[in-house]
Amino acid sequence: MSTNAILSRERPSQGLGFHSKPSKAKTTEKFVFWVFRLGTYFILACASVIFLTIFFKGSQTVFQSEFPFINTEFLLEAPQTLHVFEHEGQSYEMSDTNFRIFEEEQGVDIKTSTYAYSGGGIWPCIVGTVLLVLGAMGIALTLGVLSAIFLSEYSKPGKTLNAIRLSILNLAGVPSIVFGIFGVGFFVLAAPQFAFSQDAAGSFTELGNTGFYFKFGWGVSLLAGCFTLAFMVLPVIISASEESLRAIPQGLREASLALGASKWTAIRTNVLPYAMPGILTSSIIGVARVAGETAPIMFTAAYAMRDQLPWEGLEKWSDFFFQGVMALPYHIYVVSAKIPQNEYTERMQYGTAFVFLVIVAGIALASILLRIRMRKKYRW
Amino acid sequence: MTQKGETNRYDLHSRRRRFLGLDKDQALKGLFGGNALVSIIVLALITFFLFKEGVGFFGQYRQDIELHRRSGIEYVEIMKEQSAAFTDLNRYLNSIRGEHATLLQEQGMAFKDARAELKVYEEFIYAFEDLGYPVSEYALEMAEVAIGARDMYEESANLREHRENLLALGRDEEAADVEVLDVDLSLFVGMLKEGEADFLALNDALAAGLLSHIEKLPVIGIDSLDAKMQRFAELSRMFVGELEGYESRLAEWDPDLPVNMVSAFGSFLFGKNWVTNSSIQDWYGILPLFTGSLLVATIAMFFAIPLGVGAAIYVNQVAKPAEQNFIKPYIEFISAIPSVVIGFFGIAVFGQFVREVSGWTILSGFDIFPISERLTAFTAGCLLALMAIPTIFTLAEDAINNVPKSFKEASLAMGATRLQTTLRIIVPTSLSGIISAVLLGFGRVVGETMVVLLCAGNRIEIPNFTNGIGTFFEPVHTMTGIIAQELGEVVNGSIHYRALFMVGMVLFLISLLINYLAQKIVLKYQISRG
Repeated sequence: MSTNAILSRERPSQGLGFHSKPSKAKTTEKFVFWVFRLGTYFILACASVIFLTIFFKGSQTVFQSEFPFINTEFLLEAPQTLHVFEHEGQSYEMSDTNFRIFEEEQGVDIKTSTYAYSGGGIWPCIVGTVLLVLGAMGIALTLGVLSAIFLSEYSKPGKTLNAIRLSILNLAGVPSIVFGIFGVGFFVLAAPQFAFSQDAAGSFTELGNTGFYFKFGWGVSLLAGCFTLAFMVLPVIISASEESLRAIPQGLREASLALGASKWTAIRTNVLPYAMPGILTSSIIGVARVAGETAPIMFTAAYAMRDQLPWEGLEKWSDFFFQGVMALPYHIYVVSAKIPQNEYTERMQYGTAFVFLVIVAGIALASILLRIRMRKKYRW
Repeated sequence: MTQKGETNRYDLHSRRRRFLGLDKDQALKGLFGGNALVSIIVLALITFFLFKEGVGFFGQYRQDIELHRRSGIEYVEIMKEQSAAFTDLNRYLNSIRGEHATLLQEQGMAFKDARAELKVYEEFIYAFEDLGYPVSEYALEMAEVAIGARDMYEESANLREHRENLLALGRDEEAADVEVLDVDLSLFVGMLKEGEADFLALNDALAAGLLSHIEKLPVIGIDSLDAKMQRFAELSRMFVGELEGYESRLAEWDPDLPVNMVSAFGSFLFGKNWVTNSSIQDWYGILPLFTGSLLVATIAMFFAIPLGVGAAIYVNQVAKPAEQNFIKPYIEFISAIPSVVIGFFGIAVFGQFVREVSGWTILSGFDIFPISERLTAFTAGCLLALMAIPTIFTLAEDAINNVPKSFKEASLAMGATRLQTTLRIIVPTSLSGIISAVLLGFGRVVGETMVVLLCAGNRIEIPNFTNGIGTFFEPVHTMTGIIAQELGEVVNGSIHYRALFMVGMVLFLISLLINYLAQKIVLKYQISRG
């Protein structure tokens, strides 16, 4: 299409000879808008570079060209030392367990070069992350949503309520490491732990002769991590849920009350169903944040290495909560900053980052899509 | 009672079950209220706990500094400072020789000949080095005395505490076995002070030796190097002049000068050193970490403000709906990338990339390039910019979106172009929202941990701001980074542990301040829609 055609469609006056060339203002406008456009697409490009690098390099670890196309060893085994060696003219790379079996089969001692953390997989990390997220969200959603209902439906408006609201909003902006240091001081070191029997290390003190034992501090444990993460997202969940509750028009409540419903019935039938999408979205964002944070769990829940899965080797049921776990974000930190770098660790790094990114990005994407759908569905 | 029965006849919910004297509605209200109470208590607890652990720091730190003074370590450090100044001089002299050597090498001179050429003034350098020995040896000796005194004092304090604990438990016999030495620090300080005359004599010898030594300044025969030699002589004379200052500081030093809370407070807030696990003296000055955080945040905001606000303007004012529906979720999606993944990307890819780019010939005009470090404030700043952009973008876009449509229509109707409308009407109207968006983005950057821990280089030092642009390419350490790095290795309740809590508290207060400002700005300059 020629320029003339465009111009004439926009400006009927074209034929009369007005505006034969674009004015200075128009040229500047075009130029400035192009600068904005390029800036915007530059952001998208930067993010895409990160995604593509990690997807491209990570998929080489996670996927493989042979059946079953997914590297099950990487996804379903614990991190191990990698042995790289040559045997009878062939070069092998094997994780520690496989190597021992191989050595036994061959019946010889083989000299190898070993690389820490480079073999095996990340199964315990995935399990640990899932447990932390489940625990933290369980605590945060119960406390958060119920508190939000109270604050928006039952409490009397006034100065106190405003002050509470303001402080919750402020706490939502506090850096995650501050919650981490709080978690260490409070849950790991100071919170009381009770038991009905002495443990093997004898670290508990008996309360008189009651057969009731206690000690200070939960130690680096799943429970401490869950609580720290839960309190980190609690302000976010309270303020987001309360916002979506308050967005429901007052008329809906009043109509229901006018028909003789009790307060709770009005809330249950006329407020919660419409606020649910908002609450759901905020909680999914909470899940993404909980899953993605490293700083709060570094010192409260995460172990760099643990041989057993959380449900293995438990003496009693409560040990499940008082054990440290491996977690994906902390594992990425460990393999990328704490151990010597080489080509073998690189595979582990990218593979872990890939799996982690897929999990977190999947959750985030779900929340974004949900929000877009819900926005279209409910409007008043 | 009868009255109640009567009302029940008309009550539609007469079969309402009661639990603990509450009906269902009241019970539910109690449940919700209880939860709200728990949440609020917990959140208040966090604040309280941070303060409780943090505030104890100052008392301990004051004692620590007082011991530092009373054991005479402070006195010895003045001597050490002087010998460090001498070492600097020596280093300068050696750098002249180094430069000469590279120059000769570039001229294609054989190694042997070059050595011969350098040998001419080697004597001069060695003799200069020897001049400093007596003083530095003396300072080392004295340091050993002072540190020994401090260690003995601390040990005896520990033992005394142990004995008191035993006594409190009623184990008197064991307590009697604990021998506690009474360490009188003033004895040791007296020893140090007695030696002052010796030190002054050494200093006089040093000054005389130096002055006579630079009379024999060698001439190299290359103009630039000779100029440096002259400069060296000048610096040496200055050093001799400064000796008096050190001496008077030694003379004025008083071990019994009290250390008050204010100086502990000042030493934390304005202290230039963060030194831990040192054999001489630990220092907890937050300034290097604070400036590091600030430097990284400045770099991040330098990129994030124009990009984030620009993108917000573009998406809201210029982009077509299809573009909007793609860009907005995408940028929101960026905020979901976990920080540790971005940090990992920085370590694995971006740091290397920055260093390679700095080696490009186009940039060779700047003398700070190419840079030698892979992980610097710049690397971390760029990555943090990407993390701040979604925050700034989303909030700024909201603010722009809130500008009443009539404003825009009125402006367009007056004949303004879209650009004029955007820049002169829309942006100024939504400026308060944009500023608070920028502030919150800044808050996010300052509080970010993993990216700076992985990519900022972790060197605890105040950035050298005289380097110009080069400052941005120095490795730094940050407040968030130091907590993440050192919290794993501290002893519960120790001064180091409390110092980290104090750093956490400073971060907490900064984030509160930023949030407060952001809210104030939004409220104060809200658009009136009357």
